[in-house]
Amino acid sequence: MIEFRKSILNNGLRVIVHEDRSTPLVAMNILYDAGSKDEDPDLTGLAHLLEHLMYGGSANIPDYDTPLLLAGGENNAFTNNDITNYYITIPSENIETAFWLESDRMLDPDFTREKTEIQKNVVIEEFRQRYLNQPYGDVMIILRSLAYTTHPYKWPTIGTDISHIGRITNENVRQFFNANYAPKKAILALTGNIDPSMTFDLADKWFGSIPGRNAGTRSLPQEPEQQKAREITVKRNVPSDALFKAWHIGPRTAGDFYTLDLLTDLLAGGESGRLHSRLVRDLNLFSEINAYITSDFDPGLAVISGKIMKGVDIETAENELIRVIEEFKDGAVSDTEMEKVRNRYETSTVLSNTNILHKAMTLCMYELLGNADMINTDAANYRNVTKQMVSESAIRYFRPENCSTLHYLSDKLDE
Amino acid sequence: MENFRTKQPPVKTVSAITGIPVENRVLKNGISLFMINAGTEDVARIEFVFRAGMAMESVPLLAGITNMMLSEGTWNYTAEELNNTLDFYGIFQNLTTDRDSAGLNMLFLNKHIEKAMELAGEILFHPVFPEKELNLMMKKRLAGYRISREKVQNIASDCFFESVFGRNHPYGRPVEEKDFEAITPALLRDFHSAYYTPRNMAAIISGKIHENTPYLFEKYFGSFTDSSLPAGNSLKAINGQDAAKIHIEKPGSLQTAIRIGSATINKRHPDYPGLKILDTILGGYFGSRLMKNIREDKGYTYGIHSSVTSLDQSGYKVISTETGKQYCTLTIDEIYREIRILQKEHVKNDELEVVRNYMSGEMVRMFDGPFAIADSFKAVWEFGLDFSYFNRMMDTVKTIDPEEIMRLANLYYNIDDLHEITAG
Repeated sequence: MIEFRKSILNNGLRVIVHEDRSTPLVAMNILYDAGSKDEDPDLTGLAHLLEHLMYGGSANIPDYDTPLLLAGGENNAFTNNDITNYYITIPSENIETAFWLESDRMLDPDFTREKTEIQKNVVIEEFRQRYLNQPYGDVMIILRSLAYTTHPYKWPTIGTDISHIGRITNENVRQFFNANYAPKKAILALTGNIDPSMTFDLADKWFGSIPGRNAGTRSLPQEPEQQKAREITVKRNVPSDALFKAWHIGPRTAGDFYTLDLLTDLLAGGESGRLHSRLVRDLNLFSEINAYITSDFDPGLAVISGKIMKGVDIETAENELIRVIEEFKDGAVSDTEMEKVRNRYETSTVLSNTNILHKAMTLCMYELLGNADMINTDAANYRNVTKQMVSESAIRYFRPENCSTLHYLSDKLDE
Repeated sequence: MENFRTKQPPVKTVSAITGIPVENRVLKNGISLFMINAGTEDVARIEFVFRAGMAMESVPLLAGITNMMLSEGTWNYTAEELNNTLDFYGIFQNLTTDRDSAGLNMLFLNKHIEKAMELAGEILFHPVFPEKELNLMMKKRLAGYRISREKVQNIASDCFFESVFGRNHPYGRPVEEKDFEAITPALLRDFHSAYYTPRNMAAIISGKIHENTPYLFEKYFGSFTDSSLPAGNSLKAINGQDAAKIHIEKPGSLQTAIRIGSATINKRHPDYPGLKILDTILGGYFGSRLMKNIREDKGYTYGIHSSVTSLDQSGYKVISTETGKQYCTLTIDEIYREIRILQKEHVKNDELEVVRNYMSGEMVRMFDGPFAIADSFKAVWEFGLDFSYFNRMMDTVKTIDPEEIMRLANLYYNIDDLHEITAG
C-alpha cells in the first residue's frame, strides 16, 4: 500500500506527496500533459525538442544544471507520444533547490534563437544515433505510419523526419510551451525522505504564484477502425530478416488493458512465454521474439516483433506465429500459466515500489489517467483477469484485418 | 518586493557515508556469504559471483557461453522445466559475464526464497550443457553478434580494447565469426568444473533479510564440494600496446563513433580517487567540460562521456561519443584541447565546488537502498578492498586541490599515449 496525500494549488497544479523514510533522498517528478501527439503534423519532434530547451535556463536562473549539481542533485527527462516528464533525485536537505529550479522554468523558460539552433543540432544527432544509424532503428517510424492513418500516434516522438526538426523556429517553441505547459496541465509528485505538510508549503511558495495560464484544449483526430490487413516490406542493410506485427487495441484506461498486458506476458514474458518456447526453442524459426502493448493514453497497439533465424523463410515463421495466437483464441491457456503471469506481475510491482523515483512517476501518470490511487488498486485488476477474458481479448483484437505487418528484410541475404 | 526567485535556496554539502553493516559468514565448504539487510519491501536479491570471467578463458566466448548455458538444463531440470519454474514463482534471474567475474543474479519475493535457492544450486553446480541447447544458443548468439557488428559504437569499442590490451589478452581479444564454431560441450564442462566451485564463489544477499537466511544458505549450498581439479592459472600477461590511430570505414554510416583512451591504474592505486575526480571534470557528468563544449556549445553530438574503469589486472579510461561524420575531426580536436587545458590551467574553485557536490550526491545514491549498497559492496570487494575505499574517495572529493588535479592530468592523460579509434 502506497500512502500519499494530494492537494491542488489555486492555479490548478496538482501536488502529490508520498513519504518513505528508508532513503536519504527525495524524488521530484513533474509530468506535463503534452506529448508528440500535440504537435502540428508538419512540425513533428517539437515536444521533444522543447524538453531539451527547458534546460537552457529560465527568467531568474541563467543556468539550470549548475545549481542542481551544487545541491548534489541529478535530473533527466523523457518525452513520449502522450506526456513530457521531468525528474530529479536530490538529498532531502537540499530539496528546496529542486522547487526553485522547476518552478522557475514552469513560470518562464528562457528560449533564445541561439540555444534553439544548437539543440536542434543535438536532437538531429540524437535522431541519427538512435534511429537512423542503428540496425532496425527506424522500425517504429515505419510501423506507426502504417498502423495509423489519422491519429497523431502516426509519427514518432523524435519526429517524422530530420527536416521537420530543422525548420522548427524559436516562435514555434514558445507557442508550444504556452499552449501546453500551464500549471493545470501539470502534476507534481514528491516521494522519499520528506514531510508532507512541509512539502505542500514549499509547493505553494514556489509554484503557487505561477499564473494559471490558459492552456489550449485538445481535440485530436481519432483513428478510424482498420478494415483491412495492411502490409509493407522494406529492405535494409541488416544481417537478418525481422517481422513486426501491430494490432489496434483500446486506450490505457480501457477495462481490458490488464487482460492485454497479461496476454502479451503469456506470449513473450520470460523464457517460458509461448512464443519463445515454441518459435525459438522448439522450432528454431526466430532468434528472438517479443510482445508488448504500447500503454498509450489514446487507443494504442499490441506489438509482436521477432528476428528471423538465418535460413528460415519469413512466411513460414509468420504462419507459425499466427498459429500460436490462434491457440489463445481457442482458450489453450492453462491455469498454471495464468498464475505464472500474475506472480511475475506481483514481483515486478513489489520491486518498483522499492524505488522512490519510480513511485513518483507512477503516481503522476495515474493521476493524469484519472486517479493516483490506481497505484494501489491496479493489482486487483490484474488478479481479476481470467482465462476466458484472455481468449475473448485475443479474438477481439488479434484479427488479420486489425493488423499491420512490417517485413523488414535484409538486403545482404540476396547476395 | 524583492524577487525571491533570483537566489538559490541555501545548500548543504551532504555528509560522508556512515558505516553500512555487511554481515559476513563462511559456509562449511568455503562459500563466502555477505548479507546486507535494508529496505522496506519483502523482497531480496542474491548475487552469486565467481572468478569465472573472460580473463580465465582459453578461447573467445568460452566464459560467456558457459555462463549462459548454466540454465539450459541441469541434473534435475530440463531447460524448459527450469524456465517454467522460475517464471511461475516470479523469480527474475540474470546470468552475467564480465571481464573478471561471472555469475547469477536472482530477484524474488521472500516467500519464494527456498525455491530460488534450490534452483540457483541446480543452475550453478549441476548444469549438464546439452548439445541441442548449445547449438541453438550458438545460432542465437551469432545472430546477435552480426547485429552488434553493424553498430559503429561496438565496432569502435572492440577495436579500442584490442588496441589497448592487445589481441593476445582476453581483455583485448576480438571475437570473430569462426569462434562460434569452436565451442563444444566438453570445453564448457571443463571450464565449469575449474571455475564454478564453492571456493571460487561468493554470495551477496541484499534486501529484507530474515533470521533463517544463513541456515538456508547452509541447507542449499553447504554440501557442494570443489572438484578435484584446481583452477589452473590461465592469466596471461598484458603486453603494453603502443598508442595507435585506427579508422574503420563503415560504408553508408551516418555517424562516426569515436573512442579515445588508454590503459590506466585501477581502484587499488592511491591516485585512483583523484583520477575519478579528474575524469568527472573532463567528461564524467552532465556539466562536464566535454559535454558543455561539444554538445551544449557546438551541438556536434547527442552525448559525449568519459569514464575510468577498474579491471583486476589493469584498468582503462576512455572518452566515447558518436558524431555526425562532418563533425568528427572537429570533435577530436576539441577533445585534445580540453585535455591540454586540464594539463596547463588550474581548475577554478567554483567548478571544483560543483564537482565536489555532484560527486557527494552520487555517493549518497550509491548507498540508497539495499541493492545499490550491494552493488557498491561488490565493486570494492572484487578488488580485495572494503568500504574504507568510499571514505577515501569522499575525503579526496572534499579536499583535492587544483594543483593535484593538474598533476594527475599530466601524469595520466599524456596525449602521446592515447589510442584514437574511429568507426563510421
